Order: sequence, then structure tokens, then C-alpha cells
Amino acid sequence: MISSVRLKPLNWHPYIAPVELSEATPEQLEAMKVTPSAKKVSEYVRTLVHDPESYLARTILFNAIMYVEGGLARPDRELGALGASMVNGCKFCAVVHARRHAELTKSDDVVTALYLDKPEALGPRDAAIYRFARRLSAAPSEATADDIASLRSVGMDDAEIIDLIHAISIFGWANRLMHVLGHAESA
Amino acid sequence: MIDAMDKAAGLSPDDALFAARRFRPEFVQGAEECRLSVLQPANDQGLAPNLRVALARRMAALNADPVLMAEYDVLLTQLDPTEQLLALAQGETDLDEPLATIARHVDVITLTPKQAEAGHIALLAQAGLNNPQIVALSELIAFVNFQTRVATGLRLMRSA
Repeated sequence: MISSVRLKPLNWHPYIAPVELSEATPEQLEAMKVTPSAKKVSEYVRTLVHDPESYLARTILFNAIMYVEGGLARPDRELGALGASMVNGCKFCAVVHARRHAELTKSDDVVTALYLDKPEALGPRDAAIYRFARRLSAAPSEATADDIASLRSVGMDDAEIIDLIHAISIFGWANRLMHVLGHAESA
Repeated sequence: MIDAMDKAAGLSPDDALFAARRFRPEFVQGAEECRLSVLQPANDQGLAPNLRVALARRMAALNADPVLMAEYDVLLTQLDPTEQLLALAQGETDLDEPLATIARHVDVITLTPKQAEAGHIALLAQAGLNNPQIVALSELIAFVNFQTRVATGLRLMRSA
């Protein structure tokens, strides 16, 4: 029996000066969905809104991939995000999505196994998802048709596998923003 | 209609996977909007479309993605690239500034994002990039790394 890992949330700080709300352009304010009464927008959002077009497009896609109804179960998407974030070295993203996985499943077991580097403790479905997430996140990708076959063998259909591919891939994106443009600190 | 991701994944309308992708119109539309926002933005922040495509070609090669390499090669030839941009696209490192610094950054963040640290962003600033350019470049790098993974995953589904 291993004691469960309890992860505390981290704070993120950018390496460049974020946009100050008082100096934001109308396009930046619109992209951030800032209302005149808004007092606080996160440093992450205000950093990315230096380029409002890409910020807006990516936010819409990210929310669809992680939160759209139906298809792949939410914890499975979080596990894909976590596997990618571990490979890509984004500690902040890894903690956020590990905690979300634990909340959604009401269990620290999977997160504990991964943070203690004991993937052999995972059940077959989580193992297939985690392995694929790691291999697709390598650069270049190390994923193979066998990984897809493993996902199918644990009962995943094509729609779910497409959802998973997107969840992993959008963290190939998000990790390269969050871990590149800033750093995480204990809250 | 076939979009850039179908092309990258080698999907045609009679493939079952072409239809399966469209169970998620949000993903199809969203990925295309993102592609336009990093490759052909209305405001390019001073990072010209041919520089962006040259960098995308370089990152497709780093990801060993011959389909995307070929796609970006075609796009680049349509954008009147300089010798320097062609060299950048081909993965060369002996480049003028700020291209040399940008290329080194793109290579590190594509291949070993784990190694990213504050000094990498400082180097971009020293090479003359302003904050909007640093963010726009980061989004471009991140997008191509997303695109190649979705395309790779879809290709694997076809072959599995």
C-alpha cells in the first residue's frame, strides 16, 4: 500500500510583462471577454492576449476539446492532458489536470501511481490511455498503430479515440505556452 | 470540404474517419480557425506570413512529418521566400539575426519543451522581438506541434 500523493495548486508567473487592462486595445478586451466592471484577469490570459487573434481561436478550441459534451469521458481527457504535460515538462499544467482527474474520479489512485512513476499500477484502460499520451507527446511522435489497437482493445470507439488524440495534442500546444512563457511556483 | 487537417492526415470524403472527424464540428472548425490565426493572421505583429510558413516547415521536419513538410513547402514557394527563409525552412542554423535566434528557440521548444527556461525568452527579446512577437511566435510553435500530433493520430487510426 502506497500513501496517496496530495498535490497543491501552483501559481504561474510570466517571463514577459502581461498586458495591463488599462492599456488593452478594444480587440484585446473583446478577446478576454472583459466587461467594464472586471477587476481581475489572470496573468496567463493577459500575457497571451498580446496576440489576441491566436488567443481567441485557441481558447475556443481548447474549451471544446476539454469540455464538449458526450464522447470520451472527462477523466480520460484529463489523463491524456496529464500524460502530455508530464512528457512536455509543464509542472503547472500537470498539477492542474492531475487534481481535476482526482476530483472527477473521486480517487487519487491514478495520480498517485503516475507521480510515483508506477504506471504498472494502472488498470488496463488507464494504462492504454497514458501510454498513448506519452508516446504521441514525444517529438517526433513515438506512437504506433499498436497503441491505437490497445485503445480499441479496452473498448474505445473511433469517436472516443479522436477525442483523446485532441486532448493529448492540445496539451502539446498548451504546455508549449505555459512552460515556455512563464514558470510555476508554490502557492 | 477537405480541410488542412484532412490533407495532413491523408483523409478523403469517402473515408470512415473523414466522417468520424465531423462528429466534432467544433474541433474541425476550431483547428482551422487556429491555423489561420497563426499562419495568416489579420495582424501578423511584424512576423510575416512567409516567415511563419518557413518556421512551420522547419517544425514539421523536426517532428519527422513528411506530409506536413510537403504541404508547407508548397505554401512557402507561393510566398516569395528569400534565400534566408528557404534555409530556415530547411533546418539550417547558419542564419542572419534574428532568424538564427528564432530558429534555435523553435528547435528547443519543439524537441525538448521540458528544457524551456527564462533565458530562452530573454534571448528572443535580445534579438529584438517585442512581447506581441514573442507570444505570436510561441503560439505558432505550439500550433504546429498540435497539428502534427492530431494528423499523426488520425493516420495511425487509418492504419490500425
